[in-house]
Amino acid sequence: MERVFAAISGDFETYGAVEKEGEVLFDRVHSLAEVSENRSRYAPKEFLIRRNENVLYLEEQQRKAVFGIKSCDLKGFYLMDRQILNRDPFYTERRNKTLFVNYVCNTPCEGGFCSSFGGPVLDEFDIQVLREGNDYHIMASDKYDKYFNGCRNDDGSYFTDFKRKFNTEMPPLKVDGLESRIKWNSPIWKEFASRCISCGACNYSCPTCYCFDLYDDGDERKREWDSCVLSGFTSSSAGNIRNGLDERLRQRFYHKFVYFKKSKDEFLCTGCNRCVEDCPVGIDIKEVITHDYSNE
Amino acid sequence: MSVLTVCPYCGTGCQIVVNEQGTEERVTGYSRSPVNAGKLCIKGYSGLSYNFSRDRLKHPMIKRDGEFVRASWKEALDETADRLLEIIKQYGPDSIAFQASAKCTNEENYLMQKIARVVGTNNVDHCARSCHSPTALGLITTLGAGAATGSIESLSASRTYFVIGSNTTEQHPIIGTKLVTERKKGKNLVVADPRRTQLAELATIHLQFNPGTDVALLDSIMYVILEEHLEDEKFISDRTEGFPEFRKAIDKHSPEITEGITGIKPEELRRAARLIARDRPTSILYAMGITQHIHGTENVMSVSNLALLTGNIGVRGSGIFPLRGQNNVQGSSDMGVLSEWYPGYVPVDSPRVERFEKLWNKRLPRNKGLALSEMFDAAAEGRVKAIYVMGENPLVTEASVSDVETAIHNLELFVVQDIFMTLTAGEADIVLPASTSLEKEGTFTNTERRIQKVNAVYPSPGEAKPDWWILNEIGKRISGIQGYESPREIFEEIRQAIPGYAGATYENIYPTGKQWPINAENPEGTEILHTKTFPLGRAKFVPVVYAPPAESVDEKYDMIMTTGRNYFHYHSGTMSRRTDILERESPEPYVEINAVDARRLGIRNSQTVTVESRHGTIRTKARITEKVPPGIVFVPFHYDESRVNRLVGKQVDKLSKIPEFKVVAVRVFA
Repeated sequence: MERVFAAISGDFETYGAVEKEGEVLFDRVHSLAEVSENRSRYAPKEFLIRRNENVLYLEEQQRKAVFGIKSCDLKGFYLMDRQILNRDPFYTERRNKTLFVNYVCNTPCEGGFCSSFGGPVLDEFDIQVLREGNDYHIMASDKYDKYFNGCRNDDGSYFTDFKRKFNTEMPPLKVDGLESRIKWNSPIWKEFASRCISCGACNYSCPTCYCFDLYDDGDERKREWDSCVLSGFTSSSAGNIRNGLDERLRQRFYHKFVYFKKSKDEFLCTGCNRCVEDCPVGIDIKEVITHDYSNE
Repeated sequence: MSVLTVCPYCGTGCQIVVNEQGTEERVTGYSRSPVNAGKLCIKGYSGLSYNFSRDRLKHPMIKRDGEFVRASWKEALDETADRLLEIIKQYGPDSIAFQASAKCTNEENYLMQKIARVVGTNNVDHCARSCHSPTALGLITTLGAGAATGSIESLSASRTYFVIGSNTTEQHPIIGTKLVTERKKGKNLVVADPRRTQLAELATIHLQFNPGTDVALLDSIMYVILEEHLEDEKFISDRTEGFPEFRKAIDKHSPEITEGITGIKPEELRRAARLIARDRPTSILYAMGITQHIHGTENVMSVSNLALLTGNIGVRGSGIFPLRGQNNVQGSSDMGVLSEWYPGYVPVDSPRVERFEKLWNKRLPRNKGLALSEMFDAAAEGRVKAIYVMGENPLVTEASVSDVETAIHNLELFVVQDIFMTLTAGEADIVLPASTSLEKEGTFTNTERRIQKVNAVYPSPGEAKPDWWILNEIGKRISGIQGYESPREIFEEIRQAIPGYAGATYENIYPTGKQWPINAENPEGTEILHTKTFPLGRAKFVPVVYAPPAESVDEKYDMIMTTGRNYFHYHSGTMSRRTDILERESPEPYVEINAVDARRLGIRNSQTVTVESRHGTIRTKARITEKVPPGIVFVPFHYDESRVNRLVGKQVDKLSKIPEFKVVAVRVFA
């Protein structure tokens, strides 16, 4: 694995999850040993969609390799790809020049439910790493196979077995058919709204949320991460068509579990549980999945 | 690079981690923080981009012939100092006045009051005057310490919450979410507020009482508690004094009598009283709804009476929580940027001032200085010739702003140190560009007395300098103080000046802060105050009798207006209105009006209307809502294009000098 790191760092600027201030954050790394295997504090979306940027220029991007991103966070980019790759030039430029080395979690994290959405072993990846003690099991996509000259590249059977075992430890939630089970008039939307303070944490923490606001600042035109729970989001001259907070929260979940599923055949959720962890009032996306809508 | 620091907005003091890699940055809540446990509100997530606004002040400016001209630091500092010295020489030290800022660090506030006092004046005050001066005065009178008695974390141990005059989910959102979450677990929540806030919606009981009738409401709650023998007799006899006199005063306030004042049905009030007294521990949270009245101090003492009567103090889950507005208003008050107190709430006329005379090696003034609300009057009368403002925007935030305007024009020298060209800075003779709290080092003390380290994340733009640096340069020139090398050096002096801060160091408060008092007995700080005894020994019941607010409705001005903040903006909006998402969410001034009133007055939603008081007029858009009841309108004070403080009169609380921002008689017409 060290050799892989060395080979990659010849072609890319290397970044990784590192422990700082008692949190796991992302920063430049110069050796594999610096990379933390712990789950990062946040999904590192900013590698591909910046929090705030000028959209009047598209600068050529550095080639970057990001080590230690967890599978749930990486999967977010594969879901975003279906909507914005080759449409959003900023995302596309960075996406094409960024290599992600995702670390598969050995054990389920508290609250996470990635197994419900095909994790933690991903079907799509650049380089996927599963560490068992001192053994690294590695899978590489064709594009990055060249970094494995002389290294053993796992044929995937280890991963299949691991996945089976992981699923017994984190039993997948029943997500099949959620898009038709979920109810527009369910009382849960109003109940969520009674608690929600519109902080935007669910959007900012979500590895799959990509919406932004566009605004002018002097002679620059900028975009900034946005939140669909805010009333100014997608506002028209007549205001937001989803006037109530309950309607906006419902929109968020319908986008994830109904609209995206119907248009792209995927749920727009990776089971990372980050929106739950960062929500100050305990709104739990798992409740949207497991709620019994049958009598509503 | 990653930096752990404190959110610059409200008094909750959420810790944030800013992680920067080149041009990419990420702001998250600090997950180990006992304050916010990793959570943030929209201002934390989306409110920091003002820092990079193109409007930032980047170099000093001096007004020449009515126009600002760029100046070097040396020119600006020398001219400021020379003119201040000239005025002092001619008219004496009380002819100058300083306005500090609860947005600035402890070190900066300490330094400003030291300069003022060493120069020879107690004319140093700040925006705490307009928010929690009644708390400091009221609770020092009744308990001996004017601060929250518990921690934010300890609120989880409460069984009942009594929230009066605080729209917590909007103004202290992370504390608000604690109440929301606990309420959903089944805890009791009593909310007393004229507006139907989010917490009111969730409350077990919402007492939607008339603005300005707090004492009547609180007294009748206590009447019921006494009538039904729900008081904590043991606590009263062991820990308090003044109960008999207090009891006599309460006897006049049966709920049947106060109903006509507060508008609250006796049965509802009785239910609330029972919850507060019976299902203990109860914590009482309040904010500007209690303090911004001409009876603000009495309101606070009334809250204190309630806590004492029910024995809800000194135990985890109980206590009084004055929710401090600004990020550092607890700290700035502790530092003594208040005209009647030296650092650590030492009264200016107390023999204990000697302590500072020794520390600063100077005879110090012992007369009360001018309060914020009095400085501009004094300027209008010509008694004050120069005002030096650090990071405040009184032309938007003071009561009766048109009088403030007149007063400023009457000054010989007006100096403003700020991060933006505010409405106030625009009137200055000299403008000094300051760094934001994301660009400097120091400490903030949050609403639960937690001293937290503030660290620089970004470099300052242009020639902007930290406030402490600017003050230090001015101080050296006008007060002869020898000057400081760093905020740390100032903090070391604060530790000597204020006993509660004695045990804190930059190292030991990192990373998660400590709650004062921090001293030899409590090296880790003090989570719960008054567990065994009060600073006064015994706490005092102070009898408080209801008297009406300064303004009441009549035939012409037939509605009551209250003012306040909304969720997305902060005070005069200099920061929040320069961040994209916050400004988009609340881009223009408005008046909240009930549908019944709107129909009666023929006002449609979003129609521009006139709101007129006995003091002034503004034009603003109507927002028809059920949040305010008929007869009451609400206007936020963030918007300099339509300043609601034109409508607020100059009546102040006799004791604390806070203006009555919460009760203004108005009429509204299309």
